Amino acid sequence: MSDFKSLLFSHARRQLLVFMLLTGILATVPGATAIAAPASREVILATTTSTQDSGLLDVLIPMFESQTGYIVKTIAVGTGQALALGARGEADVLLCHAPAAEMELVKSGAATNRKLVMHNDFIIVGPADDPAGICGLKSAAEAFKKIAAAQAVFVSRGDDSGTHKKEKEIWAKAGVKPEGRWYQEAGAGMGQTLNITSEKQGYTLTDRATYLALKKRLGLKIFVQGDGALLNIYHVMQVNPRRFDKVNGPGGLAFVDFMVAESTQKVIASFGVKEYGEPLFFADAGKSEEDLGR
Amino acid sequence: MREAVLELKNVRVHRGSRLVLDVPHLVVRRGETLAVVGPNGAGKSTLLQVMACLLRPGAGEISVCGERVERGTNLVRLRRRMAMVLQRPYLLDGTVFDNVAVGLRMRGVPRDEVRARVEQALATFGIEHLAGRRARTLSGGESQRVSLARAFVLEPEVLFLDEPTSSLDVPTRMGLLAELGEVVRRTRVTTVFVTHDVIEIPFLADRTVVMAGGRIVADGPVREVLGADMRRALADLAASARWILSQDGDGIAAFPVACASR
Amino acid sequence: MDLVVEGIVKAFWLLVRADREVVRITLLTLRVSGLATLIAVVVGVPLGTVLALSTFRGRQVAVSLVNTGMGLPPVVVGLWVSILLWRYGPLGFLRLMYTPTAMVIAQSVIALPIVTGFTMAGIGQLDPGVRLQMLSLGASWWQLLWILLREARLSVLAAVIAGFGGVISEIGASMMVGGNVMGQTRILTTATAMEVSRGHFDMAIALSVILLALAYGITFGLTHLQQKGRHA
Repeated sequence: MSDFKSLLFSHARRQLLVFMLLTGILATVPGATAIAAPASREVILATTTSTQDSGLLDVLIPMFESQTGYIVKTIAVGTGQALALGARGEADVLLCHAPAAEMELVKSGAATNRKLVMHNDFIIVGPADDPAGICGLKSAAEAFKKIAAAQAVFVSRGDDSGTHKKEKEIWAKAGVKPEGRWYQEAGAGMGQTLNITSEKQGYTLTDRATYLALKKRLGLKIFVQGDGALLNIYHVMQVNPRRFDKVNGPGGLAFVDFMVAESTQKVIASFGVKEYGEPLFFADAGKSEEDLGR
Repeated sequence: MREAVLELKNVRVHRGSRLVLDVPHLVVRRGETLAVVGPNGAGKSTLLQVMACLLRPGAGEISVCGERVERGTNLVRLRRRMAMVLQRPYLLDGTVFDNVAVGLRMRGVPRDEVRARVEQALATFGIEHLAGRRARTLSGGESQRVSLARAFVLEPEVLFLDEPTSSLDVPTRMGLLAELGEVVRRTRVTTVFVTHDVIEIPFLADRTVVMAGGRIVADGPVREVLGADMRRALADLAASARWILSQDGDGIAAFPVACASR
Repeated sequence: MDLVVEGIVKAFWLLVRADREVVRITLLTLRVSGLATLIAVVVGVPLGTVLALSTFRGRQVAVSLVNTGMGLPPVVVGLWVSILLWRYGPLGFLRLMYTPTAMVIAQSVIALPIVTGFTMAGIGQLDPGVRLQMLSLGASWWQLLWILLREARLSVLAAVIAGFGGVISEIGASMMVGGNVMGQTRILTTATAMEVSRGHFDMAIALSVILLALAYGITFGLTHLQQKGRHA
């Protein structure tokens, strides 16, 4: 097509060439090329944002990868979405903290080999002057009742996450239907919700890990902790490869085994000590759920 | 009789449900200079576009240089034997040289030949000094000269001129028409020239077709068609065309020439 | 305010020290958005031109589709691409979910209507007489296309800028189909969102500064080309 080419006026050709070249180079930057692993070497881990946000997986995943040679794709989403991905066979292994929903998944046959890994706990935090007067209460439900009675600002995750579900459980236990100007839904992750709570000088329910990580920026104090209802229990489970032919069974099994292995449990038990002076998680492999929180 | 360069048979063009062109038979022979005259809306431009293979008629038959235009005919190849100058110059963004060269470059003409031919065409219309200027900075008259050079440089077998001077002011227009007529006569290019102004005809044409309401109402040598009676009628036409059109586009049907010729 | 300063200082050091993860995230962002824009341009510019020039039954429908697509929410694109690419989706056998390729696909879908729409508008603004004139001088279909594109090149470059700006700042679709997997599909926007969620605001600000600098730099380059084209 020589006639076509000769039609280009010279400067227009240069402009186009520069642009094409630029895009071409960008498109093929070799350093950014991800290694495509064969399906059998790839493990898709669906987990919750709060798990990822704690930073624990940044330590554990490289360990697992170097020990087993698998490549993990960690998909951090809301609890509901993580469980749904498992239920549809779109993930190989799940790490969640919504025991009731997880049991349903196991019962349905979509998940299998469910094992207790660790727990951390929820705490109720609020402004230093404690307008609702909940400091030192043992029961979370009791504290929620007093917050509602005082019409003190309470910021909810409002995102259907595990934390949000836990919060709703406690409201139900307290027999309060939270509504009104004092009850605000953030529709955001834990870190952001804490930030909003601090700005509004309100109360909120949070996991200890996120709170500790952000403590120095927040004007919030711990008022209620230690209630058995406030435990945040993590289980790992395989998506059932017998139910879903495309699920990486061996990979999922390897990840479950890894999470409950003694060396891994040690890492979990010491995670966060250096930075916050106390561990963020309690390693629980081998225990039963009923033993916790006593 | 010289060979037919363009031949139309039973050509009809509809726009919506309206018949805008209805030509039972029209032949243009090599070397002929044909003026198509008529009021606005008479179908002159439509006729020109059909001849130039830019508009496929709804019905009828067209032959270009003896070749019948059919469904599968390569129109680009046929169009490359012709060239057209429109009422407005439609210059591209670029230099005057680039604009005059555009048709040659489309045809894949070698660089050196492009240069030589463009320079010659620019000289023909007295604008060689503008070669490096950006086309969009030119005056109306200069632009139209570029447009003419752009068409002539192709050495077409048929040249179509669609009211090429009507957007210019009167002195510029007359000067350019005289020059254009001289170039046309010198190059002996077959020319079809559309105008709504009878005054322009003698500059460029030796044969005239008068159109009204999409039909050819008179056809003959300029001197004959522009004979005493016809000249008066055409003068009426030129004078009345404006208000007829401004009142009603279809009012042309009542036009005196059209009635007289039936 | 100290947070912003801290973030900018952090961004500076991350770049100066060429932090491996940050460099990788930045390069991947460029690669994904650049490639998506390229695809959108290669498909969208001719498509926009053809839509602007042609008259066929259903053109109105197609044009409206493009115009609607220009405001397509990225999460919607993410959802539909996910549905296609999931293991048990119709294209699951390609195993593209949670890969950069999936992100390129999603971003191309986002950029395509933007590029097409801008091109269509640019070509549509040209006088139809230019078309007639060029055809009468013997332009082939491709030559006509090229000439009109050249005449509308300011609009076409605007189309490229808008398309690139749309995808490099996009998060919803990349998060959904890419999964923000560390070292594999993490790009500047998803990484920023994650750092915010983790409460690492300084890091988030640092990443956003890099993103803004990148978007600005490339847009500046393209705008420079565009303005040069205006005077050329």
